[in-house]
Amino acid sequence: MGRATPWALALGQMALLVLLGPLVTGVIQKLKARLQCRRGAGILQPYRDLTKLLRKGTVQADTAGSFFRAVPVLVLASTCAAAALVPVLFAPPAAGSASPLPLGDAILLLGWLALGRFLTAVGALDAGGAFGGMGASREMTVATLVEPVLMLVVFSVSVVAGTTDLGAIAGHLSLRRGSFGAPDILALFAMLVLLLAETGRIPVDNPDTHLELTMLHEGMLLEHSGPGLFCLVLAHHTKQIVVMALVQALFLPWIPASTAPFALALGLGAFAARTLVLAIFLALVESSYAKLRFFRLPQFLGIGFLSAFLAVALRLL
Amino acid sequence: MSPELATRLIDALGALLLFTMILILAAGQLYRAIYAVAAQSVLIALAGAVLGATTHNLDLWIVAGITLLVKAIALPWLLLRVIRRVGIRREIEPVVPITATLAIAGGIVVLAFHLSSSLGAVRQAITGNALPVGIALTLMGVLVMMSRREALTQMVGLFASENGIFFTAMAVSQGMPLIIEIGVVLDVILGALVMGVMVLRVRSSVDADIAELDRLRG
Repeated sequence: MGRATPWALALGQMALLVLLGPLVTGVIQKLKARLQCRRGAGILQPYRDLTKLLRKGTVQADTAGSFFRAVPVLVLASTCAAAALVPVLFAPPAAGSASPLPLGDAILLLGWLALGRFLTAVGALDAGGAFGGMGASREMTVATLVEPVLMLVVFSVSVVAGTTDLGAIAGHLSLRRGSFGAPDILALFAMLVLLLAETGRIPVDNPDTHLELTMLHEGMLLEHSGPGLFCLVLAHHTKQIVVMALVQALFLPWIPASTAPFALALGLGAFAARTLVLAIFLALVESSYAKLRFFRLPQFLGIGFLSAFLAVALRLL
Repeated sequence: MSPELATRLIDALGALLLFTMILILAAGQLYRAIYAVAAQSVLIALAGAVLGATTHNLDLWIVAGITLLVKAIALPWLLLRVIRRVGIRREIEPVVPITATLAIAGGIVVLAFHLSSSLGAVRQAITGNALPVGIALTLMGVLVMMSRREALTQMVGLFASENGIFFTAMAVSQGMPLIIEIGVVLDVILGALVMGVMVLRVRSSVDADIAELDRLRG
């Protein structure tokens, strides 16, 4: 493969992430079921759920405006755009060489994720249901706590690489693999806290329930149905794997520097292994903790904020 | 062990120490804070062992062993036992909200780095970020003591603060003389015993709430 294919590579990585997203959710659910001594559904269950949704019709609330129909597609589009910005299979060997991800950098990635979140909340408010409004309000409250910390984490790593381009960061880190410094440790802990919040997992949100008092993300999806719900659920799976890929690009970079087919296969294997580790982490946390009361969340996310803040402080001072 | 490797290990341990400190500050329940401070003491013992292996200083090995036995095992066990005996309320009652404490802690760390950069010569002498991290740990331990009301939580703050002092001492002078370290550890044990007895015996009639002791008259 020649040098002239960064676009194809970026789009291929995007397609890979979108296709594998539901599988990761399935694996986490299976692991959780095993940890709780249940047999659990097969790891392909999320795909079955998604195809079932595609076959169903759409019901729309009388109060919903015409924008309501566009929301799921826009959310899926912005999440997919975010997926095109994370390095998965390939990172350039040295800083200064052409970026493998010509579409944008880490800040744009966070922007796409924030846009998806915003659109989901707007859709929930547009439908006019009480649960949607409540879910939107809660989701945005969590967002104000999560997004600045995510920024801090990205900055603490990009200070070293001297760029916010994720491909270049991962390439730079792949080179100096052995030196996992003190700030990286703190930033990694912050990122693990954020991973729980961004994927809507248990101390923050409960992905398995439709109980009105505990819903954050699910509350916003209640008014959607059929293909619209398909888009939103797929977007959620994709967002989860994108955040996981972001953790790996920033902290566990072992990404091959060549685009030879063998190296790409190796990169895919490494990606699968690291994703499995993160999935096990999520399943363990979900099985061993209870969901936090909503007003306790700032305290929990404060751990992440302070860790990220200290990481930046250690890096700069 | 080569000095460069020791510097990197101590730096990494410093980051982990700061993280355990954050966990202590953010703990909503008493037993979590106790587990966090026990983990912190284990890390301090590791740091002592790393420095001992680098400088071939037997005293540091002994102090690391004492730290492990007393502060990572015995005292947390004592505190957990007291909790179980008196069936204490599990929730920590902060005077200042926990989120505000976390924000103050961030300020403390910046302050510590600022402070230690003015001590250029001392910082040069020893390993990387150990001095500012030690100062920050000490001050954050004091912060825990200031912002909590329960006697046992204040004990946790005292342990953390003492860990910070030990880390600072290692950073500045590669360990204080053995006799001083032993004296400090004895102080901490005594403090823990007094607090434990106070909570165990006094609890039956009064809450072990430090804020209520201001009306104690002789």
